[in-house]
Amino acid sequence: MDTFLLIGITGIGLGALYFLVASGLSLIYGLMGVLNFAHGSFLTVGAFFGLWFSTQVVHVSNTWTFIGAMLIGGVSAGLFALLVERVVITKLYERHIDQALVTVGIALVVGAVLAGWFGNDLRLLPTPPWFINTVNIGSAHIPVDRFLYIAVAVILLISNIALLRFTRIGLIIRAGVENRRMVTALGINVRLAFSTVFFLGGFAAGVGGVLVSAYSNGVSPLIAGTYLIYGFIVVVIGGMGSVPGSFLAAMIIGVIKQYANYYSPGLGDFVVVFLLAGVLLVRPQGLLGKVKA
Amino acid sequence: MTLRWKYSRPLLAILVALLFSAPFLGSNPLSHPGLQQTMAVAFLYGALALTYDLLFGYTGLLSFGHALFFASGMYFAVLFINHDVLVWWLAAIAAVALSTILAILIGSASLRTGGITFAMVTLAFAEAGHVVISRNFGGLTNGENGIALNADKVPQIFIGVFNTKYLFWIALATLVFVYLVIWWLTESSAGRVFAALRDNETRVSVLGLKPSRFKLLSFVIAASLASFIGVVMLMVSGSAAPRFASSDVTISLLLMVILGGAITRWGAVIGGIIYSVATTRLQDFSQSTALHSIPQIIRGPISEPTFTLGLIFIFVVMFAPGGLSGAYYALRLKVISRK
Repeated sequence: MDTFLLIGITGIGLGALYFLVASGLSLIYGLMGVLNFAHGSFLTVGAFFGLWFSTQVVHVSNTWTFIGAMLIGGVSAGLFALLVERVVITKLYERHIDQALVTVGIALVVGAVLAGWFGNDLRLLPTPPWFINTVNIGSAHIPVDRFLYIAVAVILLISNIALLRFTRIGLIIRAGVENRRMVTALGINVRLAFSTVFFLGGFAAGVGGVLVSAYSNGVSPLIAGTYLIYGFIVVVIGGMGSVPGSFLAAMIIGVIKQYANYYSPGLGDFVVVFLLAGVLLVRPQGLLGKVKA
Repeated sequence: MTLRWKYSRPLLAILVALLFSAPFLGSNPLSHPGLQQTMAVAFLYGALALTYDLLFGYTGLLSFGHALFFASGMYFAVLFINHDVLVWWLAAIAAVALSTILAILIGSASLRTGGITFAMVTLAFAEAGHVVISRNFGGLTNGENGIALNADKVPQIFIGVFNTKYLFWIALATLVFVYLVIWWLTESSAGRVFAALRDNETRVSVLGLKPSRFKLLSFVIAASLASFIGVVMLMVSGSAAPRFASSDVTISLLLMVILGGAITRWGAVIGGIIYSVATTRLQDFSQSTALHSIPQIIRGPISEPTFTLGLIFIFVVMFAPGGLSGAYYALRLKVISRK
């Protein structure tokens, strides 16, 4: 029972990390039709800025440093995403395949630059002392960092939903995901919505980068690899363009993966891909996705 | 009006004949085993890029899972050979057959989606395959270390530095074979349907043809050719390794096809050969002393081959979408229209 609970909560924590990557991917795809292979590099850029902040700027590792690292990581990754969108993506307006291809190129170049500067070895990211504590639920000892990941993901989910529901730009984004041509035809400037979505997606990925580094005990240019692929899987299962769908799918995948890996190491990735195939056969538009007209 | 230069085919035939006889023609660069090995690998990547061009360029299917079939051919073959299940040539046939079945299964599941979703789904399948191989799932693949081909169980002419020229020939023959198959296929009536699917899928179904069947046909043919190339790569490199299954391979195939130019056949081949040689050469270059005077902040990225290739790739996608072959045809058009 203890192990069951431990694995379950770790799974939800892992799902939270997947969600941080997937939320941006999903919105960017839903609004602009861009499959963003550079999203992994947003995560890495955020992680490196977080590392820079918590080792070069401040020299104490407490809770505030970590929160600062998350914010710095998020903002820097968001700005980087904005730069990518402005300089590269918008130049390839409506050429969806080329946009996907060019993000592959960006991912390669960013990976090479970071590897050239910092090497591919893990660099330790300082974490607050309480990170190694455990919380007792019944007789299970759950590492406390899992709850942090879940909390950050929930905060981002709620603020994402709030932004999409209650602000004007959110309204434009939602309308754009539904039918971008119509929004443009009505004379509304969707470019601002594009930039917002890229910044927000980059921000979430950057925060995710700092958390992923904390989870895997360090920063390296290679940390994004599996998270990007899981992000894609989450987006497809959850439904393109649906943030709550991504959240649901991320949690399901995180939990199933952890249980399967406990049963037999390596089985998790396999089960997730079968889940993906199953969802596609039964519901090609994903769990909460809408069929586009 | 055709843009093809009328002497291009005879010249190509002469070039292939020259390459075939190069290891015999006295002392030339290709009579050294080192370059023979490099070129054998480059030919195979050229062939693999060509199969990807069939999928991505001709049929318009952006698959991120092509490396899976390349690796599956390789791994099935090495397992059958090393465990004495089948004699080497039967093992090769069985590996291609099993990979084809795998391609039919994965293809029919992922082709229920289209466009960008298809790219993600194929990526997920390939990544699952990569995990199975690299984590030693089921205890057969020996994880990250890969499996060395047991030298006693293949004919001796494939083994040893002195025999590298035979591997060179086999790789070149594989490239020619794959080229001929894809040439024949893309000029056949099925090939016309592939192109039509890429340009306007609705129209194909209005004409009474089933798009899903032709997509699956293209997917499966490309995959089984890739698995065959995987078997040959096993012979040339002497081992099966998880890096051949990683999505990086598919991404480099994409780079090869884009750099060389899609939908021209020879563009993909040239792209594959140049890319393969360039990654080897750029790695040597990064270790050279000429770079030491450059400050680390610039030297670091330059010493990574993916930096240069990635930048060129971004440039080609944004400003020269036809790649090398596209540039060549644009030049031909100018020459012809001047007459």
